[in-house]
Amino acid sequence: MIEREKASAISHPIKALIGIAILVGFALFIYEIRGILAPFVLAFVLAYVLAPIVDRMEGRGLGRTSSILLVFVLAFTGLGFGILKAGDKLTGEVRELSDRMLRDERSERKFSLVNGGQAPVLIEEIVWKEQVGPLAAFSLSDDKLLWPVEVKPGEEQVFYVSFAPDTPVYSSAGLLLHLGGEDVGSTLSMQATGNRASENEAEWGAVSVDGGANFELQQRGIELSPGRIDFGEAGPNVLTDISKIAETIQPTLQSYLGDDFDLVALVKEKGDTLIDTLLGSTTVFLGGVVSGLTFVVIVPFVAFFFLKEGRHITRGLIELVPNAYFELCLNVLHQINGQIGGYIRGQILATSVVATLAISALSIIDLKYALPVGLLAGIANMIPFLGPLIGIISASIVALATGGDLAMELVGKVVIIFMVIQLIDNIVIQPTVVAKSVEMHPLMVLFVVMVGSQLMGIVGMLVAVPLTGIIKVSAQTIYEGIRGYKLQ
Amino acid sequence: MANDPFWSNIFKRSGGDDIDLYEILKVIPIFQDLNRREFRKVEAILHRRTWGADEAIVNEGDPGVGMYIIVTGEVKIAQRSEDGAMQDLATLGGGDFFGEQALLDESPRTASAIAVEPCMVIGFFRPDLLDLIESNPRAGLKIVMRLSQMISVRLRQTNRLLKEARLRMRQIEREKEAREERERLERERQEQEREDLLAKGESS
Repeated sequence: MIEREKASAISHPIKALIGIAILVGFALFIYEIRGILAPFVLAFVLAYVLAPIVDRMEGRGLGRTSSILLVFVLAFTGLGFGILKAGDKLTGEVRELSDRMLRDERSERKFSLVNGGQAPVLIEEIVWKEQVGPLAAFSLSDDKLLWPVEVKPGEEQVFYVSFAPDTPVYSSAGLLLHLGGEDVGSTLSMQATGNRASENEAEWGAVSVDGGANFELQQRGIELSPGRIDFGEAGPNVLTDISKIAETIQPTLQSYLGDDFDLVALVKEKGDTLIDTLLGSTTVFLGGVVSGLTFVVIVPFVAFFFLKEGRHITRGLIELVPNAYFELCLNVLHQINGQIGGYIRGQILATSVVATLAISALSIIDLKYALPVGLLAGIANMIPFLGPLIGIISASIVALATGGDLAMELVGKVVIIFMVIQLIDNIVIQPTVVAKSVEMHPLMVLFVVMVGSQLMGIVGMLVAVPLTGIIKVSAQTIYEGIRGYKLQ
Repeated sequence: MANDPFWSNIFKRSGGDDIDLYEILKVIPIFQDLNRREFRKVEAILHRRTWGADEAIVNEGDPGVGMYIIVTGEVKIAQRSEDGAMQDLATLGGGDFFGEQALLDESPRTASAIAVEPCMVIGFFRPDLLDLIESNPRAGLKIVMRLSQMISVRLRQTNRLLKEARLRMRQIEREKEAREERERLERERQEQEREDLLAKGESS
């Protein structure tokens, strides 16, 4: 003891300063490279989830490497199967949902005219034959197009049709094609693809005139009636739906709050920005992260090495520690390892249980987009206090938007479902899987969630609480360790 | 060329590379049952460290994390007595080990171990033993079995010492009682004599 005090007394403040400087530098570095951290964090989590299984297999006499490979094969086969089964449905639903939420160019339909004949075709104009629905407003986008457009033989010309999804009715469209020149005898085929399926999915996809048949250009004008060609339907977006509901309750509210209170305007103004920030950044994040080979390659690769070399990495770190703190570090690292492992596994388990419950229950009451909404509710559930609110609010919005006449009834069911899930979560799941030591004060939760959203948007919000949990567990363990060793 | 510093393996752990761990560790009781393969597994989880002269390897009162095996050098085991002075208990050398009880529980160290001269010491720690039990239960069990045997031998020794001490204490007590009895008899005899003398004086 005496020797240790003597050795460390001289350089203690300098050491502490260097330590703090290194920590701050490291934190800044991490913040700077946060964009590429996602696969590493995911690999880290994956390694912690799979570690007990690998350990058990190794205990049965299998080599470490073969155990990891076997677990990987099993895990990724399962994952691949799951993605095959649910992935298409999920991505489809997510895209459809964000289309319905967002008022942007996603409501466009793209169609192309292919000249399959021998002579060039001159298209003088494409106009709306008919507008279906009283308030439908369509436009042929791409203003750069200068009429007439000439389509040479074998060439393809793309046109865009945009719907206006902020009109509170479903709309469909027909087109009138005016042709110029002396092109009689040419063959023009038309193919339309939608960014979004119409309500009846079977009739949409790739629709061509007359069931895909080419049509002879016998006359100067070709009429594409709504009955013959379907450009899909564009429903009103969620914001419009909610404004409609706001309109109905506005008089009641105004009688209490005065005529100045304009709920509809408020919903329109705030909702626009809210949906833009939330969904916009999420889809950008998902697009950047989930897409691409990076994830398929980097995550398993990194996780493999975390699993295989994890012990060597910690051993290497411990080797660097000075003798006086060596035992302390060894002990604390081991405990942190155990705590973090337990925390991550607990959170993953809780998330999957809540998500499964939510998805099944929401499917039973026939809520559209039950899969993405339930999944979101499960993931958000990691955030205490706020998470359940996120789940219940998003599910209610979807219920309001898609429920039609039964919207309020559906919202009621959603609320009951989430209350029951919360009850199950609080009574059964949380006490069994989540350690008491990570309990956080509500204020703390609110604060870190806000910091997370400030730094990394909605992803930051989701990551903030688990990350704080990990830091809290580590700090607690270190503190207790230091106290036990009477080092100050 | 073979010793060119540019080409030699700079990642090789420095210090004690020439020492064959197997030779040292195979005589340590807790590793005696391990076969070569298991031994290699254990070797991978041991920590090799060096301590300078007068540096404390373990401090009395700190939570115990594991055992240490001295490869080279001398280590002094010392305990703080009630008046606060350090009291040397033993001096250990190469092949000796200490702290094995900490492999079983986290109770505070009962004595300090201080390097007398620069030492190379191998550390074997409870977290690593727990990992080994998970990943290679057979080897882990062999070590734990040996460990418990060692502890039980020590317990038996302690029991024997305790028994001897108790016997000795009883003997001392008996001697004390006998002495007191003798003194009492002596006192009574003297008193009697005095009374007799007094009686004689009165009568005369």
